[in-house]
Amino acid sequence: MALLAMATVAAAEPPETVRFITCPTYRDTDAGRKSGCWLADDRATGRRYDVSAAPSKPDWNHEILVEGKAAEAPDRCGGIVLDPVRTSVLAGTCTRHMLPAEGYPGNRFSLPKRDVAPMAAARAVPPGPYSTRTFRLFFGFDSAFLMYQYDDYLLDRAITWIRAAKPRTIVVTGYAASGPETVSGRAIAEDEEIARDRAERVTEALVRLGIDRGIISVRTDTRPRPVDDPDADGLVEASRRRVDIEARF
Amino acid sequence: MLGATTLLLAGSIAARASRDGPTAPADRWWAPGSNRTFPTQADYADTTGTLRVLLTGGPLATKGHPFFTPVGPNGRACVTCHQPADAMSLSAATATERWQATGGKDPLFAAYDGSNCPTLPQADRASHSLLLGYGLFRIQRPWPPRAAKGGAVTPDFDIEIARDPWGCNSGKYGPGAGNISVYRRPRPLANMKYLLAIGFAYDPKQGLPLALDPETGKPVSGNLMADGRASTLDAQMRDAAATHLELLEQMTPTDMARIVDFESRIYTAQQADRTGGAVDIAGAEGGPAKLANSQAGQLGSIGKPVWSEFEAWEKPAPGLGPARAAFRASVVRGAHVFRDKTFLITDSTGINAPIGFGNPVRNSCVFCHNMSQMGNDVAPGQVDLGTTNQPFADPMPWLPLFRITCRKAPHPFYGRVIYTSDPGYALTTGRCADVGKITLQSLRGLSARAPYFSNGVAKDLRAVVDFYDRRYTIGYTEQEKRDLVNLMSVL
Ligand code: HEC
Ligand code: HEC
Repeated sequence: MALLAMATVAAAEPPETVRFITCPTYRDTDAGRKSGCWLADDRATGRRYDVSAAPSKPDWNHEILVEGKAAEAPDRCGGIVLDPVRTSVLAGTCTRHMLPAEGYPGNRFSLPKRDVAPMAAARAVPPGPYSTRTFRLFFGFDSAFLMYQYDDYLLDRAITWIRAAKPRTIVVTGYAASGPETVSGRAIAEDEEIARDRAERVTEALVRLGIDRGIISVRTDTRPRPVDDPDADGLVEASRRRVDIEARF
Repeated sequence: MLGATTLLLAGSIAARASRDGPTAPADRWWAPGSNRTFPTQADYADTTGTLRVLLTGGPLATKGHPFFTPVGPNGRACVTCHQPADAMSLSAATATERWQATGGKDPLFAAYDGSNCPTLPQADRASHSLLLGYGLFRIQRPWPPRAAKGGAVTPDFDIEIARDPWGCNSGKYGPGAGNISVYRRPRPLANMKYLLAIGFAYDPKQGLPLALDPETGKPVSGNLMADGRASTLDAQMRDAAATHLELLEQMTPTDMARIVDFESRIYTAQQADRTGGAVDIAGAEGGPAKLANSQAGQLGSIGKPVWSEFEAWEKPAPGLGPARAAFRASVVRGAHVFRDKTFLITDSTGINAPIGFGNPVRNSCVFCHNMSQMGNDVAPGQVDLGTTNQPFADPMPWLPLFRITCRKAPHPFYGRVIYTSDPGYALTTGRCADVGKITLQSLRGLSARAPYFSNGVAKDLRAVVDFYDRRYTIGYTEQEKRDLVNLMSVL
């Protein structure tokens, strides 16, 4: 019985990041709301992964780019659990495929760790002294959409600090991972334009949150290096697809 | 002097209404300019029992009040289409009664939007079939859309007319002349603090913080109007005055302030069910008084569960007659079905894309209808249920049909070409990804304002449940369907 068996992960070595393109499969487990499973088969290895932990989940009509690390977590869906994991919805189309639960329990919904608080909840004022600081938001492949329960949370943290620190200027840099790379035998590269889209969206977001547009300058970079940021969850390639919000004094 | 006497008289009618039960049929219809006093409480018989309308802060003399006074050339006032007895909307049944009572002469049937198209012979009943049959008004939107701050929006799709049953999407009414006509139900103008409430700073469906009101710079709830074209009561009022009332000049700031004052004080909900009795007894907390006294904008999943108002009815009160006990038990079960019975929500933009819940996602009615006590969406509620888009929409030969071609990225679920009877939010944003998104409404006072959905396609609450059952292949049992209907009938 595969059920609840531990995924085999080398004990000492930090887990390797897997990265592949595939069509997702939805497994219709039912442990209440949002409890269905997302599975993704890496065609190169034939391994089936559980990518349900992604902050932004697949669409069964479209290919996904999977980036994640195997976790020592019980198999509740019928695949090796990836966590952290990102799934980016790509343009390529897929044949819808849904599996029945087949005895897998699925994942009971619990609030993710990056869950933004309601407006009514008071934010703790981050203590000074304040000096130049960079906040980062991370994106799906070729997407400028601020992910729910991820980017909104990171943005909320940034704006809470910025409101307290009152920087003189803010530099918003949008990056596009436009250097082609081979994934699942296919060359993929982000559109260079996405760097500007990301920067403009984040600028618009800051303005909507009360920042004077006049203190923001917008930059783009289409050859980003990865960053080691705790909120990138150690996913190196995903960390290139980002916006830096640099507060200066 | 005369005015004062009228007021007194009207006042006594109001008092009688609340003391002696539902308002007499003769007083149900609020004709514009009738100079009555709007009472602090009025009860109206509706399809399943009694609707109650509350006005907080004391009675209102409506004489000269801009909500009640015909200010434009067509003899209408706001109250024409936002009637207290119809939970501040207007039911198709009331429209039909007005036609019969006035031989079609009521200003309600004004050619501009109270007929299928102004070019049709106005004396013919058939020219008003959408209002009489489905409670629909013609809504004329500019094409291409205009931004809230003025200036054109460049749409990322082309729109062609696939079907134009009334001629209102051709010639001077058509896109060639800068217009699109769709047909929509009046949205209930009550309990507004819930629709204007802001729960979170972000709009997760758009992946951005809430939009700002261009006039005040303040964030807006994004929960007004089917297509979200107006984000504040002021902006909405200018829209209503220029269209429904055919006013040529803008309303004065004083008039607008008086209307907003009225809109902010009015609450409505079902107060009693013919079988189940009063909804605010035996521990239940239904009815409008609770709404007036509660804080708006709470997410049911982290606060007071949606429709937990009726939880106390779980345990039948001793000595309750069997019919009443059975009805109340059904309402409680209905609330559980609404919250807990999950199904696969598929291909609904706003939920399944781009937000990242996944397509499909397993959830229940409360996923979208998530605000405590109101059942609208705490976040801006633009979602494509498929009420207007093919293939999910029912065939509605009486409505126009548009063929939308996405110029840039295809729509995530429909591809490049979409057939729709109302592009909804896309008529505001100009984005093909928004085609068919309709803003969630309040779920209060439903028994007084059939038919449902913004296009009136669901003739009763059972038809609403059946629509969802078909759309998402839910497989509700007959009992679950009846429970949901009973629940919704007491909201
Ligand atoms: C001819 C009928 C008619 C008249 C007259 C009318 N309305 Fe409406 N009202 C509607 C319709 C139809 C809608 C829904 C429009 C849509 O969703 O596109 C609506 C929607 C609204 C809404 C949005 C409520 C919500 O929850 O989204 C408000 C507020 C409103 N009307 C206020 C007014 C005011 C104020 C007046 C008078 C200045 C007025 N209306 C006159 C038909 C009318
Ligand atoms: C995917 C989101 C979603 C889910 C799930 C959902 N609704 Fe809705 N609901 C909407 C939207 C959007 C509208 C507005 C559509 C329109 O007016 O055309 C709406 C409108 C309604 C209305 C019409 C209100 C009116 O004033 O006309 C009722 C009643 C309703 N829903 C009941 C339910 C019930 C019962 C369920 C569960 C079976 C449910 N909804 C599930 C999104 C949802």
